[in-house]
Amino acid sequence: MDYSLFIISTLQFLALLVSAPAVVGLIRLLKARAQGRRGASLLQPYRDLRKLWRKDEQVSEDASWLFRVAPLISAASVILTTSMLPVLHVTVLGPGSDMILAIYILMLSRAMLVLSSLEGGSVFGGMGGSRDSMISVLIEPALLLSIFSLAALAGSTELSSTAQFISQGGYLIIGPTLILAAASFCITTLAENARLPFDNPATHLELTMVHEAMVLEYSGRSLALMEYSSWLKLTVFITILVNGFLPWGISSALDPLSLALASLAFIFKLILALGLIALLESQMAKMRLFRLPNLLTTSFTLALLALMAFYIL
Amino acid sequence: MTEIMMNSLNILAVGILLASLMAMTTPRMGQLIRIFTLQSLMLAGMAALVGYQTGSEHLYIIASIIVLLKVFIIPRFLNYSIERIKVKRELEPLLGIPGSLLLSAAIVVLAYFVTEPVISLTEVITRNCLAISLAVTLIGLLLMITRRKAMTEVIGLLMMENGLFLAVISTSHGMPLIVEMGIFFDVLVAVIIMGMFAFRINETFETSDTSILKRLRY
Repeated sequence: MDYSLFIISTLQFLALLVSAPAVVGLIRLLKARAQGRRGASLLQPYRDLRKLWRKDEQVSEDASWLFRVAPLISAASVILTTSMLPVLHVTVLGPGSDMILAIYILMLSRAMLVLSSLEGGSVFGGMGGSRDSMISVLIEPALLLSIFSLAALAGSTELSSTAQFISQGGYLIIGPTLILAAASFCITTLAENARLPFDNPATHLELTMVHEAMVLEYSGRSLALMEYSSWLKLTVFITILVNGFLPWGISSALDPLSLALASLAFIFKLILALGLIALLESQMAKMRLFRLPNLLTTSFTLALLALMAFYIL
Repeated sequence: MTEIMMNSLNILAVGILLASLMAMTTPRMGQLIRIFTLQSLMLAGMAALVGYQTGSEHLYIIASIIVLLKVFIIPRFLNYSIERIKVKRELEPLLGIPGSLLLSAAIVVLAYFVTEPVISLTEVITRNCLAISLAVTLIGLLLMITRRKAMTEVIGLLMMENGLFLAVISTSHGMPLIVEMGIFFDVLVAVIIMGMFAFRINETFETSDTSILKRLRY
């Protein structure tokens, strides 16, 4: 019995790791289709990674050891978080599925990114780093409050327990708390992963870039690791969104039928979320940097209301 | 059955509160009017649901009057007025958007603590909405205080009225029909007068910025 739990949790962990580039590829493809272009194939991010992996690496003379280590730590922390997520079955491979822990491990990856952006000694890097720290300072309270309201609803900060509780709680669980917390988490997902109203993922060498500015100095394998960890981080956030806030379909049994249903449900929810992101990104323009606090405070207020609604109503 | 009812009432109540908060975030007139329309629609839905739950039929009439008045007539009149005095956007609000949102969140917490002793005493199905209705009223007031264009202040007043109406529904399942009718008529007349008034302010001072009204001479 334990053996099969181990196998299924390993399989879902590996599946997330492997599918992260395809997730980004799918967003790009859907976005291209929404804009009337043909778009690159789903496999293009894999080809990009292979290309980068074979290339030589250039390191700035001013950079210290941190510049070399940062991509490794960043990728390792995101991979560790991935192992803490229930995908098809409520068990996890990693050290529990505590969401507060997971979020702060992800913050480690972000801290590494910001520190390494200063290493190259270029102006762009520091600019991107300072913008990214501003955004992350504003995201953190909203992110944690939406997790807290989920935790208050389900009585646990473990994603496995909340997923089980909500998916088995019937229709009555769909109340103000869950809806508001999910809405707040959607905004923070976009902000945390440098998606459109916050940062344009398609820009390169523009004054408005945030995430791209930070990885500008990287090349070769380090760039491949940086890119991969940012893609994986997007996948992690979407998984938390669909399995934490709309976990219907997740399986807590081990028979093949319920696992097959769970994977169908997960893929359906994943594609729905990606489609929404793609649609949003083709509709919206990037927001001015100084207007970002408005949207992030909205997200914070939504999360605060979610928590309040749990106690008031 | 009661639980589904209670759940949907709660969702509608939070939706009404959310509409008030969204009104704090937008400086655009058209968007403000749309938000007000949506809020009134949710209020009408709530009145109808409470009417269904408690079996008081006059709430259906009230719900349909809300739809007629606050979803069709008043928004149309407001749109017509902003068309005439050509205001599209609010000036820079006196308090920035993050600040006013945080203040509104504080108001929600305050409203909860103020109404908590009352809530714990009553047994009616909609008792939870009392805190929300107080919060909606106070946020409407905050909207009136922090914005400067005359038309935004009209919308703030209308949102306050929505909050008061929510309080009426949630505590006593509606007032006698004749009183409600009187209030609706008052609101309609008030909006028309304020619309005219905003138009006159605009004509006299060539702006509808109310902060200059305290001067004697422009």
